[in-house]
Amino acid sequence: MIGSQLDETITKPIAVSTEGIHKSYRSGATVTPVLEGVDLVIRREQCVFLAGPSGSGKTTLLSILGCILSPDQGRVQILDQDISTLDEQARTAIRRNRIGFVFQRFHLIRGLTSLENVCVPLTLQGMPHHKAASRAADLLDAVGLSHRAHTHSHNLSSGECQRVALARALSADPDLVLADEPTASLDATNGQEVMKLLRRLTTEEGRTAIIVTHDQRIFPFADKVFHLENGRIAETAGSTSTALLESER
Amino acid sequence: MWSIALKTLIADRGKLLTALVGVVFSIVLVNVQGGFFLGLIRKASLLVEHGQADIWVGHRKMHNVDFPRDIPQRWVNRIRAVPGVKRAEPYLIGFADMSLPSGGFEQVAVVGADQASLLGSAWNVTQGNPLALARQNAVIMDECEVQKLEFPKVGTTREIGGRRAKIVAMSHGIMGFLVTPYIFTTYDRAASYLNKSPDVCSYFLVQLEPNANVNRVCEAIQRRVPELDVFPREEYGWISINYWMTRTGLGISFGAATLLGLLVGMVIVAQTLYAMVLDRLAEFGTLKAIGATERQVCSILLIQALAMALVGSILGLLAVWGIVYFYSTPRAPIVVPVWLSLGSCLLVLVICLVASLLPYLRIRNVDPLMVLES
Ligand SMILES: Nc1ncnc2c1ncn2[C@@H]1O[C@H](COP(=O)(O)OP(=O)(O)OP(=O)(O)O)[C@@H](O)[C@H]1O
Ligand SMILES: [Mg+2]
Repeated sequence: MIGSQLDETITKPIAVSTEGIHKSYRSGATVTPVLEGVDLVIRREQCVFLAGPSGSGKTTLLSILGCILSPDQGRVQILDQDISTLDEQARTAIRRNRIGFVFQRFHLIRGLTSLENVCVPLTLQGMPHHKAASRAADLLDAVGLSHRAHTHSHNLSSGECQRVALARALSADPDLVLADEPTASLDATNGQEVMKLLRRLTTEEGRTAIIVTHDQRIFPFADKVFHLENGRIAETAGSTSTALLESER
Repeated sequence: MWSIALKTLIADRGKLLTALVGVVFSIVLVNVQGGFFLGLIRKASLLVEHGQADIWVGHRKMHNVDFPRDIPQRWVNRIRAVPGVKRAEPYLIGFADMSLPSGGFEQVAVVGADQASLLGSAWNVTQGNPLALARQNAVIMDECEVQKLEFPKVGTTREIGGRRAKIVAMSHGIMGFLVTPYIFTTYDRAASYLNKSPDVCSYFLVQLEPNANVNRVCEAIQRRVPELDVFPREEYGWISINYWMTRTGLGISFGAATLLGLLVGMVIVAQTLYAMVLDRLAEFGTLKAIGATERQVCSILLIQALAMALVGSILGLLAVWGIVYFYSTPRAPIVVPVWLSLGSCLLVLVICLVASLLPYLRIRNVDPLMVLES
């Protein structure tokens, strides 16, 4: 069973690959090396977890994969594009059109309703308002929040915020969804709910998902878990998520 | 983009109100303080501005309407002969004492105008009839000055320069730069109050034919009376204003105070706006992280600055209008010309733009990464 699943994913095209990524932070004279040669390959329609101790550089790596940070060294290929060579404008375009982010603290925009928050990436793409609103409404429906569409984001519970953030990440129809500890501020039940949603709306719709987490409870949802330690990928583990999801149905 | 900008601006009511109060405050400060200043210095040219004369002719080097030198009255005929001149009349200004019922005296500025045309006589008469100046001993004074003169009324008789003066009418709002009240009367009567020979006068007031050119007529008059100075109305008004501004240091001190007020207002606006944008850096970081371009972030900021400036300016100008309406008096007039209001709005707009774009420069340097970290 596991073998056939691996075979299946290996035949999928590569979504994200990195070679020898180095990244260190400089503050004054001190240089803190964080990533010291990260190599990984993630195939399309996979749901991949990025785990590791605090301070190991998970967020840093995710930011590099999300075109937010540039590596000091190494090559990053995302969706057939070598992003190491792109300028800021092209990277912004990739962030806008091909990547969806779910931030750990949601980072919904204050003063906007759930619906308007989900609309933001579409507005940035220049989509007319009525079209954006109808797509956003569909997405809110998909995450089970249509009854909260016109609630201001500061009046939502954290579970609801998380789901709005997920809807926002998906609104521009990205190929790659990146999530930084999406379940950290949620209780066990809500965490499971969000992970189920994430899997349903990403891999099952042909997207690739990379999820940073410490949360052991949600590991079963991963196709693959990368462990980051001392600046490198220490260990890669497969998972039986598909089987688990199947048995739940 | 508009709706994102405006909705997020409204989201933080407290901050928005603080910044708006700053904008309104600066607009009010600039307009009211500037208005007081303009109101005060305008008093210096009050007679010139309202005197209905197009051209003022007076002694060489004349520098203030209230302090004229004597010129020969008969020269008026030379001016009357100049083409383009419809009317030229002698005009007399001088100081005399008015006796008060309490036994005291108060100095007054006696203004004598030609009896037939009343050119340069009192305007805005609210009590009595200005034409009653034709009657014996008749004078007109301003109702705002009654306190200084121990509350005379229309019909009251006083003595000026030892001669009888009967108040036949009162104007409203003729308060000059000096502390001495103006007393308007006819030319001959003024000469007798001032104890002057009627052969001399202070100015010749000239009115032009309908389509005569002011400057050309001025030059022509100048050729006829080379001994005198000839100025168009606006210019002599400015000369009178300039006299007080430069000789008293009023221009510098009042101007400096106004500038200081302006500065304080601007700093308040700039600071609250700057803080407001800084406070929301993370939000702009989020926008950048989900793919907003520099231009989009920039336009959100500009829209917000524009909205602030616009709303603040409108509220501020409404407040200014209210203040002028309720608090402007002849004693302390607040003159707010359109250029002052527009100028202050423009200034506020510039400050708003600069104050929101400065933190934007910081946003450019702040990575969208901060969103993932915090
Ligand atoms: N802007 C920065 N400047 C300097 N050092 C930084 C900066 N951002 C992160 N670091 C350091 O880099 C290291 C890796 O940070 P990173 O946030 O990637 O870790 P992480 O694995 O996400 O940790 P956590 O699980 O606690 O979120 C940490 O030691 C951190 O202190
Ligand atoms: Mg982290």
